[in-house]
Amino acid sequence: MKPIVAFHEVSKWYGNVIGINKLTLDIPAGVTGLLGPNGAGKSTLLQLATGQLYPSQGTVTVLGRRVWNNPGLNHDIGLCPEQDAFYEWMTGWDFVHTSARLGGLGRREAKEAAKRTLDAVGMTKHQNRVVRGYSKGMRQRTKMAQALVHDPQVLFLDEPLTGTDPVARRDLMDIIQRLAGEGRSVLVSSHVLHEVQSLTPNIVLLNHGRLVAEGHVRQIRDLIDKHPHHIVLVSDAYRAIASRVVAWEDVEAVRIMTKEQGVVVETRAPDAFYGRLPELAMSPETPIREVYSDDDNLEAVFKYLVNK
Amino acid sequence: MPIFDQGYQHWNGTLSGHGWRWLAIARRGVQNGMRMRGMRIFLFSAWMPALALSAFLCFWGLLERQSAMIKPFLQVLSFMTPAVLKEPKLYRVEIWTVAYDIFLWIELWYSMVIILLIGPNIISQDLRFNALPLYFSRPLRRIDYFLGKLGVIVGFIALVMVFPAIVAWVLGLLFSLDLTIVRDTFPLIVRGVIYGMIVTVSAGLLVLALSSLSRNSRYVALFWLGIWFLSSVLSTVLEKVEFEQRQHAAFQRSARALRDPEFSQRPIAEQFAERRRMQLEAQRQREALLREQARAAERDWRPVVSYAGNLTRIGGYMTGSYRSWETFARLMPENRRDDFLRTFAGARFPWYWSGGVLLGLCGLSICILNFRVKSLDRLR
Amino acid sequence: MTLFRFEEVTKTYGPVTALNNLTLQVPEGAVGLLGPNGSGKTTMIRALLGLIPVDKGSGEILGMDFQRRQLDIRRMVGFAPEDETLFPSVVGVEFVAYAGELVGMSSKDALQRAHETLDYVGLGEARYRKVDSYSTGMKQRLKLASSIVHDPKLLILDEPTNGMDPAGRDDVLELARDLSHNKGMSLLFSSHLLPDVEAVCDYVVVMGAGRVLTQGSIKELKQEHRGRFEVRVKSPDQSHFGRRLAAMGCQTEVREDSLLVEIPPGRSSSLVWELAAAEREQIRYLRPQRSTLEEVFLKAVEQP
Repeated sequence: MKPIVAFHEVSKWYGNVIGINKLTLDIPAGVTGLLGPNGAGKSTLLQLATGQLYPSQGTVTVLGRRVWNNPGLNHDIGLCPEQDAFYEWMTGWDFVHTSARLGGLGRREAKEAAKRTLDAVGMTKHQNRVVRGYSKGMRQRTKMAQALVHDPQVLFLDEPLTGTDPVARRDLMDIIQRLAGEGRSVLVSSHVLHEVQSLTPNIVLLNHGRLVAEGHVRQIRDLIDKHPHHIVLVSDAYRAIASRVVAWEDVEAVRIMTKEQGVVVETRAPDAFYGRLPELAMSPETPIREVYSDDDNLEAVFKYLVNK
Repeated sequence: MPIFDQGYQHWNGTLSGHGWRWLAIARRGVQNGMRMRGMRIFLFSAWMPALALSAFLCFWGLLERQSAMIKPFLQVLSFMTPAVLKEPKLYRVEIWTVAYDIFLWIELWYSMVIILLIGPNIISQDLRFNALPLYFSRPLRRIDYFLGKLGVIVGFIALVMVFPAIVAWVLGLLFSLDLTIVRDTFPLIVRGVIYGMIVTVSAGLLVLALSSLSRNSRYVALFWLGIWFLSSVLSTVLEKVEFEQRQHAAFQRSARALRDPEFSQRPIAEQFAERRRMQLEAQRQREALLREQARAAERDWRPVVSYAGNLTRIGGYMTGSYRSWETFARLMPENRRDDFLRTFAGARFPWYWSGGVLLGLCGLSICILNFRVKSLDRLR
Repeated sequence: MTLFRFEEVTKTYGPVTALNNLTLQVPEGAVGLLGPNGSGKTTMIRALLGLIPVDKGSGEILGMDFQRRQLDIRRMVGFAPEDETLFPSVVGVEFVAYAGELVGMSSKDALQRAHETLDYVGLGEARYRKVDSYSTGMKQRLKLASSIVHDPKLLILDEPTNGMDPAGRDDVLELARDLSHNKGMSLLFSSHLLPDVEAVCDYVVVMGAGRVLTQGSIKELKQEHRGRFEVRVKSPDQSHFGRRLAAMGCQTEVREDSLLVEIPPGRSSSLVWELAAAEREQIRYLRPQRSTLEEVFLKAVEQP
């Protein structure tokens, strides 16, 4: 599958300070989450991908074409930046319409596109108010609108959901899912892990300017050897389960959670463990009410890899 | 209990009433001000006039006692009228008054500079970094906030004007070893201190209001410079223009005589006599012009335009220096008296004009502060 | 024990009604405050701080009438506002001590207490540096320290994790949880990030258009759907297992990554295990379905 965004041995430094360090990365189509602690290089990566910065080393391509000094590529790229910088005296409609015209759309096309996009982000009601009077949620929606108005193939979103209330957040996430469904690609950079988790299981994790992990969250989790999997079993007979489970060879540790009536099992062979569970559950002394993995999620992966 | 809880501890101390809050704010402001680079050097230089004043007063005290120590220094004072030097005790009050007048005038300029250094940031920094919720979400009222900020200015101007004045007074007292000085000059020092307070309140409120007008302290500094310098310049320009106009009118009058077309027809001796007469006439007219000018100055509104000029006028009123200068002027020969007064004694317009202007500015400042520093009772 | 109580409180700013006959009683403990933008949360917080007079109504915070004892209220309440409110070139510990002095502590008490709270929030040697050099996480922790320096009974946090990376967010939430659960300080946590609120608070108030839309303990609001479970099996194609479950009489809904299963009455979830054993399938996830706080919120807000 042809990657949407491809970095090949890219480095970027500012004087002595390294922003990105020999990054080779292919971002596939669909929604991808870009994660990393502060200073990891996420903003640098986005700026390199949208042609705002020139790589000190290596090449960056989007949709197979070189990004730097290629304004034609901007037809196919939409950027929703993190900064909150508008022309405060414009109305929402002015802003999106002007963005459409700047994006190369003809007069009538731009009007239609602006109307359509503002409707899609739910700002039609407020489009004639000046941006200065907008709340944070409205600003984020407007920013998203200007990124979508020229119907780009690839979207780069930098912290699109900060400061938005849950209603706006749900609406914006729906928009992103819909865009992905239409075949577009979206790269979302965010600090808020559970938001990224609800958008997509495919992530790219950066730390100190280097690529730490990419791919499906669960696959990444499977590959983390250092930390055994935590699997939680909830049952009325949790102590009986604990005594049965501790006898299994691949189980490394068993912890009792009295309050939740559960047992946390640590194992490095989760597959074998899960395979034995149905038999255990059907035995009358050890029924299992709930089973789930405590650290199968993005937060755990992040914590393990970034080494807080 | 061998192991102590390292976590969060509760605190049961007492909290002072909000009436004392201004002190915390003022203290912090003064600390911040003192930390500025060069502030200490500047304060040190601001004490130089105080040292000079103290030295002079001590010297005068010694002179009164006819002490042997100062004989070699009498040369320095040769610019003064010998009558004064012969009977120093008689002119004590006048000398002290005049010395303080000059001192306060110099320190006024230092105060303006200090306010330029620390004033702009006082409120503008809080506006810029959005620190007002920090203050107003705590138990203090707006008035406490303003008093605290004003207290910063009070602190610095007290350091520059009030304390040096008092210290100089005490030193002068000690060196003359004469308790009657206390009776003679006590009103003077009291008025000097009150003058310091007036300067503080007026300039302080003004700079606080300016500081609350903008988030950018550089603009505030420019505003302050504008009020201080530009108003002085404007006032001087206006005065000069008016003087030129008067001079021109007078010249017109005297020139009319010379335009007489038959003048050159007359015999030479008569022309000489005529010219001599006209020169004397011109001289008399010049003097008349100056006298007219001095009289007009008593009702001239132009000096009121200058902010520093207003403060100086109030200072002159408080110390009562005009009378002292007049006393010295009387010791001078008749023809130099007006010149002397004009150079040294300062403006003569009614003091209550200045008072009115300053009060008006205070009122305006309070209105601006009230408007700009709103409490958090608003929608956004 | 009531933390605060409002009765028919109305506050208008010109044509805009910020609080509309607000009647509310909230117990002590960790309380979350949710609501869309413009719902009156900020105005209510300002009323809690005794900062604004109201047009109508009465109320009490910590037993004190908020219209009469405004200064006293602010002595007992700590507030960490949403925006950054730090002067530059101030040393960390001085800033916290100043915050304490502004409440009325003597300068000695304030400094001693500043060090204590800085220990608690975990700012070690960094406290002697100027605040310009702090990261966002450190600045938030400093703000938190300055708001608890006078040992308030109620701490109001407004979007404390705004813009923080996951590590910093965890720290702040941990501190908030500790203060409210173990240290006897009541907490009012206003945030748009619902999982944060869930992690820290036990009780939640949802506001909209100046009134209360819903309130209650989080556990009660997130009702369990009896007999409904979320199931995930090992094989990537969940629908096969779903069809087999449906054949056994369960109502199944296939989602992208999991199955929503409703067990027919009379049977228990052991049904799922039996099927798994028979199909040689691994059950990787089996939990009763609970509505999330987000669903509770959206339902409350979008009610007509």
